[in-house]
Amino acid sequence: MLIVKLLSKLTLFTALSKILLVLLFIWLLPGLVKDVASSYTSANLQEQEKKVLTNIRRNGIDFYFEGDSSYGSYTMLKEEYISLEPVPAGVYRDSIQTSRRIIETDTMDYRILTHAFQYHNKTYLLEIGKTLASIDQYTRPLQKVALYALTLLIVLSLVADLIFTRILLRPLGVIIRTKLLHRKFPFRETLSPIKTSTADFTYLDNALIELMGSVKEAFDKEREFTSNASHELMTPISILQTKIENLMGEESLSDDAQDKIAAMLTTLNRLKKIVTSLLLISRIDNDQYVRKDTAGPGQLVSEVARELEDRLAARNISFTAGLSGAVIIKELNHDLLFQLLYNLVNNAIRYNREGGRIQVSDSVESGNYILHIRDTGVGIAEADLPLIFNRFKKSSGAAGEGYGLGLAIVKSIASYHHIGVTVQSKPGSGTTVNLHFPQSMILPAATMQPLNA
Amino acid sequence: MNVLIVEDERSMALEMEAFLKKAAYHCEIAFSGRQARQLMEANPFNFILLDLGLPDQDGLDILQQAKKVCPEASYIILTARGNLEDRIRGLDLGADDYLPKPFSLLELQSRMQAITRRKSGLKDSLVMLGDFTVDLQRRNVLYNGYEVDLSRKEFDLFSYLLLHKNRPLTRVQLSSHVWGDLSDDDYDSNFIDVHIKNIRKKLVVHAPVEFLQTIRGIGYKIKC
Repeated sequence: MLIVKLLSKLTLFTALSKILLVLLFIWLLPGLVKDVASSYTSANLQEQEKKVLTNIRRNGIDFYFEGDSSYGSYTMLKEEYISLEPVPAGVYRDSIQTSRRIIETDTMDYRILTHAFQYHNKTYLLEIGKTLASIDQYTRPLQKVALYALTLLIVLSLVADLIFTRILLRPLGVIIRTKLLHRKFPFRETLSPIKTSTADFTYLDNALIELMGSVKEAFDKEREFTSNASHELMTPISILQTKIENLMGEESLSDDAQDKIAAMLTTLNRLKKIVTSLLLISRIDNDQYVRKDTAGPGQLVSEVARELEDRLAARNISFTAGLSGAVIIKELNHDLLFQLLYNLVNNAIRYNREGGRIQVSDSVESGNYILHIRDTGVGIAEADLPLIFNRFKKSSGAAGEGYGLGLAIVKSIASYHHIGVTVQSKPGSGTTVNLHFPQSMILPAATMQPLNA
Repeated sequence: MNVLIVEDERSMALEMEAFLKKAAYHCEIAFSGRQARQLMEANPFNFILLDLGLPDQDGLDILQQAKKVCPEASYIILTARGNLEDRIRGLDLGADDYLPKPFSLLELQSRMQAITRRKSGLKDSLVMLGDFTVDLQRRNVLYNGYEVDLSRKEFDLFSYLLLHKNRPLTRVQLSSHVWGDLSDDDYDSNFIDVHIKNIRKKLVVHAPVEFLQTIRGIGYKIKC
């Protein structure tokens, strides 16, 4: 379905309805003009009739006849004529009608008023006529003028409508711009109500503010809890760790005791790892990392590969990074980006097969820079794909192994940088993770040099 | 070596003291900023381990003052994990290292040793181990003047075991030293076995490596 902005719809509607009205008016105009003209003409004829009768009453009928037995007169172009003649006695009906008359040699259509009257016991018939041509001649120009005038008026009123609608709808635009467009969860800033005298918009705005406020509040609470809880857990974990480490250093311990203490230490480490990861995620959510570093993707990838070279070698996995090297990524936090890539490549090693491959490549798609990390590992079942970035979600896989917090961290870091993450996977043949860096983070590199890790 | 532990968490401070004492450090403990200042003015210290979260004073202020009183000392900041600003400012103010809590005491000692080595130059950086010589400064292992080709991580592991010689280290302790925050429990610990196997393989072609022992169920230790 075609989705159009409200303003455009309103503008389109008013314009169309106005044009329609004008066309209707122009179509009706000839009839109207004719109507108006004929009633005007009738009135005119009646007025002249009255004048003639008054003259006759005052001055006698000879005022017209001047000795003749009848009277007739017409204007130079025969647009109007008048005739007065005696008629045999009888009943004559007064009328105003259109009919044809021959005056001298011209046959013309007239609007004719006929009036019979008695004067000194004689019946006279008065006829006053006016050419239809002289009536009709105004219709065309009128139509034309009307068309011009109305077009001008339409344009003017359209402009006025447009301006007014714009002003009227401005608060809606503000609501859309400030509260709906480009809103990225979690919302950071508090929202201020818009200024409007339209009740509907105030209502909408308030509802939105309230809704987003409560979402933000819930999120803030959770965030605060995670942060506080992790923080508070750190001190007891610290103390435990030092105590256990000291205990393990005791030479007098039996092998069995040492075994158990080592196991405690391992468990404690797991706890520490979870808490640390949660704290890291909550710090990212809390905006506590500065995004001001700049790095080439090749540089980042080779740093990660260097960190993991032993693992790659141990499992005989080949790692190739064929990057164009043509871009530099800005506004990132180097440590976080490193961790993101580390987690991804580490997973690619972890879930790979012995002697497998990991390929890092890049591409540019509609301005976005995309980094692809492809492995030849066990892959992820399609049903699990939406779950892998969730905290603590367990895969349904046979191993029952969780994806842990590693990918949750990846997700947090990515969304903190507005990097999109997509995953394609085929169980048994491998997984590709794509990182979509937004155009705003990308700078063209000064020199073109392929970087190989 | 004199060490001042500035830490308000009493049991934590005591454990640190116990551990460092065993490693032949002489320790004093301050539980507050005020106490720390008094101790600093009275004794010269080689190391000051400073917890930034003290009840009575801002840790970074203490660091600033301490640098004036004890300019010779080496400073390691101990702070709640992830207080990034603290870390950056602490290092800016002249701290030698930064260790986020919870940390391993073994790691603390390793950092202290690294600082000592860095400051004292080449002295004491050669350790004899069996028929091998370990050069901690150049980060390599020599046999009869030949360099044994260990990877970076392998050397990290080897020197960590050497520093804590005669003490069994768990795989987790080793992996969190080698990979730090990036270490990922069980999976990473398994790599420790791979690394140790490689280290053995690389050393044993030159001379016996009985000193590198596997402690069943726990991890490894260097005995000498």
